[in-house]
Amino acid sequence: MNSASQMHMMVYASLLAALTAAGAYLAIPIGPVPIVLQNLFIMLAGLLLGSRWAMASVGVYLLAGACGLPVFAGGTGGIGKFLGPTGGYLLGFLPAAFFIGMISERTGHRVVFDILAMIGGTLIIYIFGIAWLMVVTGMSLVKTLAVGMFPFLIGDGLKIAAAVPVARALRPVIKPKGREECVINQTK
Amino acid sequence: MDELTAFGFYPAGSLLHRLDARFKLVFLVSISIAGLRAEWLALVTLTVFAGIVLLVSRRSLFSILIEIRYFIVFLLLICFVRSISTQGTCLIKTMFFSITQEGIRDGILISWRLLLVVLFGMAFIATTRPSDIRAGVAWFLKPLPFIPHKKVATMIGLVVRFVPVIFNQARETANAQKARGIENRKNPVYRLVRLGLPLVRRTFENADKLALAMEARCYSENRSDPDLSSGVHDWFAAVVVFFLCVFTIVL
Repeated sequence: MNSASQMHMMVYASLLAALTAAGAYLAIPIGPVPIVLQNLFIMLAGLLLGSRWAMASVGVYLLAGACGLPVFAGGTGGIGKFLGPTGGYLLGFLPAAFFIGMISERTGHRVVFDILAMIGGTLIIYIFGIAWLMVVTGMSLVKTLAVGMFPFLIGDGLKIAAAVPVARALRPVIKPKGREECVINQTK
Repeated sequence: MDELTAFGFYPAGSLLHRLDARFKLVFLVSISIAGLRAEWLALVTLTVFAGIVLLVSRRSLFSILIEIRYFIVFLLLICFVRSISTQGTCLIKTMFFSITQEGIRDGILISWRLLLVVLFGMAFIATTRPSDIRAGVAWFLKPLPFIPHKKVATMIGLVVRFVPVIFNQARETANAQKARGIENRKNPVYRLVRLGLPLVRRTFENADKLALAMEARCYSENRSDPDLSSGVHDWFAAVVVFFLCVFTIVL
């Protein structure tokens, strides 16, 4: 990969990290629980950037939060957030984005596999999130699931359904530059 | 961006502002970890310490309460769940659940610890410049292999720059759609796609322009960081925090 496309991917990864941060504030008010866009962008990072850069994107997002920038849900930030009750979900974003990116890359961006990858990614986030929530609050597994997973499942389904058309529409926006540069390299 | 600036750096010349960012990062992490093990007496001590720290950082108590209002709701929820899920002496009994004394005690203990962690984090953010935080983090990342610390620092800078752009774009898109009657559409997937698609596509176009501009200006990773320096007062503060942490764990 040459330096120009590296630079493009770096800027894109930063942009998706920023979108994830903004997604913690952007909510679509439908029903009693508003749909927060944060993990929609985690999934999109995986689908659009591929495993390596998706992980870089999420890593930068988490690091920015750890530095104290207010990028996490509810307008908070700081390293204490990782030790707080929702810290597990945040750490879960990292393997989830990598997993979604990897599956999506390997299977040639087909819709069925994209959806399976996102379901798997969401599961990874919950495994990390629920485990840590149980440790911190000392609640039983059933209680933790009732507080930390079931209320959000419908929203997650909607986000997966929305991520598919968004990713399909955006892939051509990202792809051509890579190809263009490849052509230039070959002619050189 | 209004929401973001409310929770940011607050310029002043207090002792906390003058401490080295690297030291403050270490303090924050060690107090957070020690605080998770604290019992009642240690919690009172830590709360007094947090009060002093917040006073010195010159934030008003009212603005702090407004900023953590959602977090407090979450803490109350934990308290409640904990109080009905713990076995013990029964205080109030209803048809579905009973609230126990031990449960309330445990709930308060856990919520108090979490609240303290957040308060110390806020004091840190309010008294440390974002560029200093970035430099401090880059300094800690430097000895780690496989992590390009300069690139990471640049990416964090880009994130900070992109966030207001995204908010403006989101507001513009949402207003345009309201003007066209999007409220009449009840399908949530339709609305997610109609908001997400133009938002992400337009911000990607902006990002493209930025990448071109960086290329045109010969961006490279060899840039100089802001200078970080530590002095006697940093080490003095380190001793205070060390004893505080030991005290918290032992009690």
